[in-house]
Amino acid sequence: MSRARIATVWLDGCSGCHMSLLDLDEALIGLAPKIELVFGPLVDAQEFPEGVDVTFVEGAVSSHDDLRLAQTVRARSRFVVALGDCAVTANVPSMRNQIPPKKLLERIYVDGVNVNHRVPADGVPALLKQASPLHEVIRVDLHVPGCPPPAAAIGYVISELLAGRRPDLAGKVKFG
Amino acid sequence: MPDRVSIRIDGELLHARLGQTILEAATAQGRFIPSLCHLKGLTPVGACRLCLVEVAGIGRLLPACTTPVQDGMAVTTRSDRLDRYRRMILELLFAERNHVCAVCVSNNHCELQALARRLGVTHVRFPYSFPKAGTDLSHRQFVLDQNRCILCTRCVRVCAEVEGAHVWDVAGRGIGSRLVCELNRAWADSRSCTGCGKCVQSCPTGALAMKGFAAEEMVKRTETITRLVEAKGVRA
Amino acid sequence: MKRIRDLASFNEAREAGLARLLPPVPRIAVGMGTCGVGNGAEAVFRAFADSIDHRGMSVELVRTGCFGFCAAEPLVNIWIPGRPLVILQKVRPDDAPAILDDVAAGRVPAELALCRIDEWDHITAHIKFGSGFPEIPLWNEVPFFRGQKKIVLRNCGLINPDDIEEFLAVGGYQALYKVLIDNNPAAVIEAVKAARLRGRGGAGFQTGAKWEYLRKAKAEPKYLICNADEGDPGAYMNRNEIEGDPHSLIEGMVIGAFVTGASEGIIYVRAEYPLAVHRLRTAIQQAEEWGLLGEDILGRGFSFRLSLVEGAGAFVCGEETALIRSLEGRAGRPTPRPPYPAESGLYGKPTNINNVETWFNIAPIVLKGPAWFLETGSAKSPGTKVFSLVGKVVNTGLVEMPLGTPLKQFVYDVGGGAPNGRTVKAVQTGGPSGGCIPQEMFDTPVDYESLAQLGSIMGSGGMVVMDEDNCMVDVARYFVEFTHSESCGKCIPCRVGLDKSLHYLSRITHGKGTEEDLETLDELSRMIRDASLCGLGQTAPNPVLTTMRHFRHEFEDHIRARRCRAGVCEDLAISPCENSCPLHMNIPRYLELLKEDRLEEAFLSVVLDNPLPASTGRVCQHPCDNRCRRAGLDEAVNMRDVHRYIADSIYPSPRFEELAARVAALRRPGTGKRCAVVGAGPTGLACAYYLALLGHDVMVYDSNPGAGGMLRYALPDYRLPKDVLDREIELIRRVGVRFTFNTRVQEHITLNDLDAQYDAVFLAIGTWKENWVYLPGTELKGVMPALLFLEAVAKREETPIGRRVVVIGGGNAAIDSARTALRMGCEVTIVYRRERKDMPAIHEEVEAAEAEGAKLVFLASPHRIVGDASGRVVALEAVRTRLGEYDSSGRRRPIPTDEILRFPCDTVILAVGETVDIDFAKASGLKIRANGLLEVDRYTLETSRPKFYAGGDLITGASNVSNAMGYGKKAARNIDRMLTGEERWQSLWPEFEYAMAVPAHPSPSRRHRVRDADPLVRVKDFREATFGLTAVEAMEEACRCLRCDVRNGD
Repeated sequence: MSRARIATVWLDGCSGCHMSLLDLDEALIGLAPKIELVFGPLVDAQEFPEGVDVTFVEGAVSSHDDLRLAQTVRARSRFVVALGDCAVTANVPSMRNQIPPKKLLERIYVDGVNVNHRVPADGVPALLKQASPLHEVIRVDLHVPGCPPPAAAIGYVISELLAGRRPDLAGKVKFG
Repeated sequence: MPDRVSIRIDGELLHARLGQTILEAATAQGRFIPSLCHLKGLTPVGACRLCLVEVAGIGRLLPACTTPVQDGMAVTTRSDRLDRYRRMILELLFAERNHVCAVCVSNNHCELQALARRLGVTHVRFPYSFPKAGTDLSHRQFVLDQNRCILCTRCVRVCAEVEGAHVWDVAGRGIGSRLVCELNRAWADSRSCTGCGKCVQSCPTGALAMKGFAAEEMVKRTETITRLVEAKGVRA
Repeated sequence: MKRIRDLASFNEAREAGLARLLPPVPRIAVGMGTCGVGNGAEAVFRAFADSIDHRGMSVELVRTGCFGFCAAEPLVNIWIPGRPLVILQKVRPDDAPAILDDVAAGRVPAELALCRIDEWDHITAHIKFGSGFPEIPLWNEVPFFRGQKKIVLRNCGLINPDDIEEFLAVGGYQALYKVLIDNNPAAVIEAVKAARLRGRGGAGFQTGAKWEYLRKAKAEPKYLICNADEGDPGAYMNRNEIEGDPHSLIEGMVIGAFVTGASEGIIYVRAEYPLAVHRLRTAIQQAEEWGLLGEDILGRGFSFRLSLVEGAGAFVCGEETALIRSLEGRAGRPTPRPPYPAESGLYGKPTNINNVETWFNIAPIVLKGPAWFLETGSAKSPGTKVFSLVGKVVNTGLVEMPLGTPLKQFVYDVGGGAPNGRTVKAVQTGGPSGGCIPQEMFDTPVDYESLAQLGSIMGSGGMVVMDEDNCMVDVARYFVEFTHSESCGKCIPCRVGLDKSLHYLSRITHGKGTEEDLETLDELSRMIRDASLCGLGQTAPNPVLTTMRHFRHEFEDHIRARRCRAGVCEDLAISPCENSCPLHMNIPRYLELLKEDRLEEAFLSVVLDNPLPASTGRVCQHPCDNRCRRAGLDEAVNMRDVHRYIADSIYPSPRFEELAARVAALRRPGTGKRCAVVGAGPTGLACAYYLALLGHDVMVYDSNPGAGGMLRYALPDYRLPKDVLDREIELIRRVGVRFTFNTRVQEHITLNDLDAQYDAVFLAIGTWKENWVYLPGTELKGVMPALLFLEAVAKREETPIGRRVVVIGGGNAAIDSARTALRMGCEVTIVYRRERKDMPAIHEEVEAAEAEGAKLVFLASPHRIVGDASGRVVALEAVRTRLGEYDSSGRRRPIPTDEILRFPCDTVILAVGETVDIDFAKASGLKIRANGLLEVDRYTLETSRPKFYAGGDLITGASNVSNAMGYGKKAARNIDRMLTGEERWQSLWPEFEYAMAVPAHPSPSRRHRVRDADPLVRVKDFREATFGLTAVEAMEEACRCLRCDVRNGD
């Protein structure tokens, strides 16, 4: 049996959801033979590959790079999971949504510092007007809220998906 | 006994007192009907629409919190339609203001959050409004965070009906409605606020909170309001 | 003292009023409701007053309310003793002296007369005005009033609303007098119940039942409230009722108070109705002075105080519980029911609320009895209802119709249909809480239940008619925007739900909606409807739900094709003209380029949008004319003839070679894909041209020996000279299109062959088959179908035409046949079964045929063709028709009469419509619809067979050149997307640089028209009959454009 091609993506988030995934601890060992991790902060791949079975996306969509990556993820994945509150609700990254990006950046990088009063431009992706939940920019197949989602919930989702079932999260997860 | 009536809730035959609402009758029997604007002891207002139930023979949905029981009434508290509508209402609340649960003082002690979990809301299909909502930090002891307010008006009622001060009310209309202190004054400048904190204790979310609490630390004691009302007989 | 205490003083006051209503001298009453005043009635009144003063004439001049026909305001009533009351319409101040001259001479100005009233049934009394003036129609002979029955509006526009004695004179307060004398409240409530009077505010609850609840309620005091918080946009029934007849409201309320035991009454009226407020205050004061209101009414010991509260304009305060909170001085937010107001209303006391119009019905029911009331209207909804009929109808105004009257009677008979020959699309009833009812359902009777079944409501009586210029998505968005901003914010479904609904609707009107949005919107709307606390929220989704139900395709157009057919949603169009153009030509662009004197670029712009600009410049039906905003200023810009000018300046000129090369150079690199186009008519040519430009190999097959289809073989030379067409086709060849002629599908090449040889096939076969109507005698010698005749002439073949020709039909083929026959020296008669305005042919063509000597006979339905012994035609017999009811197309149906018309002739040309020969498609995997046309996806034009696309007549039936080409163009875009998997369409157009600025002042020049040759000369041969614009004229036309394509911020 071929192994399921799994990817994880880290957009605008704190990586806590990835940490929660790692919190599966020894359960990871059981998963290892069943899955192939093809992309994500935990592996080396530079380019999001074609033909991914399930992609877990952590983080809100905050920059143009996030948006492009999200669209690539959708185009190349059969099943997309929004993992954690930032991907599901935009969460903490959305707390800047009432402030225009330019004003926001100036406040932080010009008014807010004592040296080097300059908004960084090179090599930094441009911010979108607002940070959005993942499903506002691409179709999302499953939402796993939580900040972070408990490892058990993530484990449950993975095992259900591997078993070819749609996980039913009603009552198992919460925002925050 | 003329003051006792028989009603059916989800098929089960129950006895209730005449004058009770459907919600009271159901809760008395340990049944759960979701609601947010209702707080036992305060005048029910039927505003959140989460407690809507189906009553046989009546074409429209009725709020359990304001509809009195009638003998022979057959009530359905859960159905596919009610579940869908309730989830949608919760989603609308999440989309209306900025409910960032992760950093909220009421995280894990919030009625909105708990209901969402209980009713299986895993995301909000409606686009978030991300409004500029504002806070009032002027009071010595308390804070008002409009970002978390769901306009349930429990604070308005508890202050007017129990404390007798009527500090709070709702200004504006429609989506522009917002909680105001007196005639839109900073809380610290209120001349009628007694500082009793009943509004804070009755608030179902993190909209009203004590100062000095960090995320997850604010635990509300809504039952104290109910107890107070029942003990003092302020309201029947 | 004025106070009425007994019958004698009651009659005394009546007599005084009657003497003013029917004085011994002429009486002039100016209609001065808000509608009249808005149309200048104040000035008219002053002009009469001045003139009367100046002349020292003995004339009574008074103000009255509105008689309902708002479109004809200002209305002036003239009564000369012994004569009928005559209502004059659209009276201007300058008319006053002449009118007074007439009146002095015992006449009325017939040219201003709208109607006369010999006698009037005030329901509570009967007034005889007099007789005479037979030349003026009776009031109910005027279409607007026909079918109306004035019970509520019994006094409006006839009496002086500020004069209580006039009200008494027409039977006012008689019902109250009776009720007080009888002293049997239960009987009155029984009567109201028996009359089954239902609340006219919209919900339709039984009024009698409500009264009974209040009567039975124990607590004191009891309150009566009149809801006059009329807030629906476009509705003003209550305003005019109060302005015209305030005492009827007061009388109804005093009766209601007496029988229910209420001691306090409040009229809650919008502050935006200052005139109504003023008239009511006067009326209340007078009623108190006359002893009809206040303490000890009519000396019977009953007291009822009535006061007036002005609402601050919140729509939600029309909801009874919110209204009560507002009266209490609290925020106008509704509370759940139960408790109902009858139990616990104003200040927690028993309260009853009725709408203005409900109160107006009380006195008639009391006086005439329930049996009389039940005679009018339908069984479940007796009586009448006043509607404000507004929007896209000729006759706007207040109409009072029996309940149960079919909707079409409102729209067509009373309203006179849409103005300017437009087609009515829907009626919105019930204001922002109501729904849109599509034209196909205009047979629906207007009553509470029938409207509810269609997802609408009666509401307070707003009726907004919409035509093809209304975008239903925008209509839904507009109403939701209204309810959204009027929501009180108390309950979540309404407060946040409407906010999100508005978000989705706006997104769709901006062309950014998705199909998922539609689903969410639908589910959200249902939730808001079912879960909201009060009537506002429960009904607010109605406009969305009904438009999504009845006009789903418009939503889909916005989402899938990013098109708004009505041209309302600006983000989805360049300009109104572009939006209306089937080819979506960027019209402002070529006008501007021409204006900037850049003819060659103008040509490129034109020819890239439309590969047959010279042909369409001659024969297009120019829908753009109907949408041009310049028409609001003077006349539409003559866009069609400008692009004809541009095309005609290039095609025959030496510059053609260079421009053809420039177009060919725009061809995308070859894709290696092979496309077949079947049919070299306008549809096929358009598709082939764009496919070739997109880099595909294109082969066009046609059964004829040349390209052009109908353009070449049906359009006569005098409309389109063939050398013009030849040049256009030459350009199409230059971009790489190849042709295979004399090849018929199925006969010479099968669909399977095409499937095997090509990557995509576009089917574009025209309607060459004449509909053969069943008509006795069509087998006779001398009968021929129009298209065969035209084709024969075009191919210079012999035609068996005689000398006297009758053409049957009203479309372009009929007119082309007639004008062709005229040129062959025949005497021609065109017989058409409907009216001239119903003819589908281009209007100018009809006029040209007439000028050339064709005789036109309308309202004649062919009945049989008469032949002689040798089987030759000798005459056509037709039945004279008259116009009957409106059919589903909004035109009146011709109904045969007994009169037979006979037209002697030797030739009959049948032009009653054409259809496609669909035989080839049968058994080929192509699905055919029930109407005999090919089934395709509305948006992609794909047929049921993979790789096969179709467009033009084949999917629409007989249409016109531009529509047909529009399909070809659209098909090319979709075929290219299928072949390449990319959206490359926009890449065909080079960047055109031109000024994006609105002209500082509109150019003063008027519309230039093309000139026709002298009819007597042009009818002698087939040379082109109209001459294009000159260079100067074309330039001036281009300058007339107002540049709707320029947006703020551009």
